[in-house]
Amino acid sequence: MPQTLSTREANLFRTVIRHYEEKQYKRGLKAAEQILKKNPRHGDTMSMKALIMNSQGKTEEAFALAKEALTIDMKSHICWHVYGILYRQHKNFDEAIKAYKFALKLEPESQQIQRDLAVLQVQIRDYQGYVQSRFAMLKAKPHLRQNWTALAIAYQLEGSLEQAENILTTYEKSMTNVPLKTDQEHSEALLYKNTIIAERGDIQRALEHLDSDCKNCLDRLAVMEMRARYLGQLNRKEEAAKAWRALLDRNPEHPEYYEGLIGALEIDEKDEAALKAIYDEYAAKYPRSDAAKRLPLNFLTGDSFKAAAKSYLTNMLDRGVPSVFANLKHLYSDVAKKEAVLALAEEYLKEHKGSEQANGDSSKGVGAALYFLAQHYNYHLSRDLAKAMEYVEQAIELDPKNVDFHMTKARIFKHQGDTAKASEAMDHARSLDTKDRYINSKAAKYQLRNNENEKALETMGLFTRAETVGGPLADLTDMQCMWFLTEDGEAWQRRGNTGLALKRFTTINNIFDIWQEDQFDFHSFSLRKGQIRAYVDMIRWEDSIREHPFYFRAALDAVKLYLDMFEKQQAAANGTNGTGEATNGDDAAEKKKAAKKARKEAQKAEREAAEKTAKQDPNKATAKKDEEPKKKDDDPNGLKLAATTDPLGDAMKFLNNILQFSPKNIEGQIAGFDVYMRRKKYLLALRCLNAAQALNPEHPRVKEQFAELQKAVESLDDAQSAKVKEVLKAKFSS
Amino acid sequence: MDIRVLRPSDIPLIQHANIENLPENYFLKYYLYHALSWPQLSYVAVDVSRPAKSAYDYPKIVGYVLAKMEEEPTDGVQHGHITSLSVMRTHRRLGIAEKLMRQSQQAMVETFGAHYVSLHVRVSNAAAIHLYRDTLGFKTEKTEAKYYADGEDAFCMKLDLGPIREALQNELLEQDGEKKDKDSSSKKKQIEDGGKGGGSEGVDEGEAVGDVGRDPEAADSKKEDKTVKVKVGRGLGVGELVERDESKH
Repeated sequence: MPQTLSTREANLFRTVIRHYEEKQYKRGLKAAEQILKKNPRHGDTMSMKALIMNSQGKTEEAFALAKEALTIDMKSHICWHVYGILYRQHKNFDEAIKAYKFALKLEPESQQIQRDLAVLQVQIRDYQGYVQSRFAMLKAKPHLRQNWTALAIAYQLEGSLEQAENILTTYEKSMTNVPLKTDQEHSEALLYKNTIIAERGDIQRALEHLDSDCKNCLDRLAVMEMRARYLGQLNRKEEAAKAWRALLDRNPEHPEYYEGLIGALEIDEKDEAALKAIYDEYAAKYPRSDAAKRLPLNFLTGDSFKAAAKSYLTNMLDRGVPSVFANLKHLYSDVAKKEAVLALAEEYLKEHKGSEQANGDSSKGVGAALYFLAQHYNYHLSRDLAKAMEYVEQAIELDPKNVDFHMTKARIFKHQGDTAKASEAMDHARSLDTKDRYINSKAAKYQLRNNENEKALETMGLFTRAETVGGPLADLTDMQCMWFLTEDGEAWQRRGNTGLALKRFTTINNIFDIWQEDQFDFHSFSLRKGQIRAYVDMIRWEDSIREHPFYFRAALDAVKLYLDMFEKQQAAANGTNGTGEATNGDDAAEKKKAAKKARKEAQKAEREAAEKTAKQDPNKATAKKDEEPKKKDDDPNGLKLAATTDPLGDAMKFLNNILQFSPKNIEGQIAGFDVYMRRKKYLLALRCLNAAQALNPEHPRVKEQFAELQKAVESLDDAQSAKVKEVLKAKFSS
Repeated sequence: MDIRVLRPSDIPLIQHANIENLPENYFLKYYLYHALSWPQLSYVAVDVSRPAKSAYDYPKIVGYVLAKMEEEPTDGVQHGHITSLSVMRTHRRLGIAEKLMRQSQQAMVETFGAHYVSLHVRVSNAAAIHLYRDTLGFKTEKTEAKYYADGEDAFCMKLDLGPIREALQNELLEQDGEKKDKDSSSKKKQIEDGGKGGGSEGVDEGEAVGDVGRDPEAADSKKEDKTVKVKVGRGLGVGELVERDESKH
């Protein structure tokens, strides 16, 4: 039976809660122990003690104590609530939800429990549960608009658009005062409702609602854009054209507006002259608009292309705009355009040759043309690296201190496969403008491509925050610098340092975990702020966050590395017979040596970085004193990761995400096949293979993998293999 | 190139552009905080001419402006603030930074009734100062000593958004005039919000919103926007999602 507390101790219990809330953990603990001295089996106090211990980092003891408290007092909502909080803090949301539900059953009126539960439900996308919770919360406090909006969001996410709209309408009808025009929440709620109407597919009604209810909404751009889109969809051409024009007057750099206008004017997409006239109109109206001048190059052909390209290119080269090649290279998929652009650039150069001013801006005119041609011959669709080098050398001769020219020279070396020279050249470019982080980042990247991890980190350290504990790497990790972590990992992988490579790829995975958790606070924050459309956008983006190329690249790297590790382990296990294995053994020993050396170098670099940090201006270091001490990484060099005995099992953590979020990426399917084959999961391997074949039947690995699979199941006669054989047979007979 | 309002899915590549270009960096949550608090104010420049690399290609961000409203303005006047602005070195001289800024300023007035916008800039960053002062018309308010983590001072700059406010008021009045018969509700309320410069004496100068609040004089000045660096401290704690004084280090 649960113990009951005397008045004095009940008061003491309240102070425990207060101390916890104020993060006065020591005092809280002391008070809790005072109660437990007299009432050693008081569940609520035990739970609170567990909660405080958890905040002090004693996770295991906290869970044990909370569990014990529950066995003593199963009927206490506090015990269940604490249990839920513990799970929530350790990101086990499913268990947390279960605990919260028990707590709520015991204390149905608790708004705090209800609110916490709702947030967990939307975080794990239990939309049905979320609808129920938000419904209960609305019932408890129907006077708050937030609660109505929240229920509508829950319905929308669940897919019940009609209910979502109805809820919003019900609230609107209940409003007694007309909200101020400056009321953000009201303005956003109206626009949010409008997006729901459109999402239901009723564009006509969405337009009517927009015109009647959203005229004064504060997000004027959104109103204008929605209106233009609706009018376009409804084929109300004339009004649509007017709406698109109004948008172009606001922002003549947004291609969608031009496309919308062209659609509304019903211009035949083959009528180049008529299309061009539209763009020309805006190029004349807004002379500084790039889009109006550049977009026509996409559809123009023949002589009109040449004329337009000439005028564009001349203008850009005269002004020395460094991005002109980047702005045109997409045209190169069309061979005629590629040749025309080259001819124009050469012509420009010829005409301007000799007009270089000694003291003028060398990035303009001749310098710009040489730079353009160097990039042209460096691009994969028009590559001639000798010519590229020739042009870039001429450009450098003109201006030996131009960062962009040297940067391109480094790129040419890279394409020649000379990573050492590329790294050197990029570092030279960096030295010409040491205040620019962009060129600094590029220099570090090229150092990594040349396997100079230590040097790269030093380069990056020129711009990272000096006072960050743990040096540049810690700062780059904190700041979620994905590109560096990926490139660093890949370089370690090439150098044979499996530990550090896995460490970096795992860090990327962890950062994606953080990005997913980042939404947590916004489930309540956004309701307070009222920016509902942005919130829903965020939710939808977060749903597929791991499809991002940042994730895919690191995950695929990791899977391939684990596959390698598996192969090596197999080879080592069979390594006693045959000369082939013997050399493999040597190879492995060699690699081990290299890894050891790399590890030592990395430790040295880390030590040096730490020393450097220690030597920083003490004033700067103390400025951040209030920062919480960072949790110590117990495997900074990834040695534990590299010591795995089950590399294929570890690979699954990455592979599952690849196959779930980027199924259309053939490289992922191919890697999936390789993993499943080695795990002898032939049906799953077949599934990857089928997916790969559907994506690109011509891919060289696809054929190989079919043969591999066939061979593997040939001699087997278990149920799985039989099924695979059957499918394969059907595939090849058809 | 495409200039448009920021979407949450842009954020990883905005963060990438930021850490590639500038020494003041933020974690993803700080970008989310901007995107979910003032989604109308942040803009990106996208390289649309880049061929897609896979089925999961995200638009390449070559420039961005990350902006917000000051939540508790010390002077009591509603105003915007530029948290970070940068353009990739490879995309300079296209006027991108200026275009991003103008879009953001327009939205600050329209959506949040801002009276002015403020920012910090390194005193050594001549290119950025040129953009703010000469192209956009910012005035240096004061110098903040040792604002940056590395000890550099910052200019605190301000731009009065009065001209955009007036243009908007005129436009709303004009709309009202057209609608008088159909719609009797006056827009006075919205116009007068904030009080300052609420008068409607300005005659319609036509093309009120043309190319977004462009300053015709500035348009003629020679552009040379290099990577623009803006420092507003590091947005460390968004933990509680409460705005903090970012100038503390």
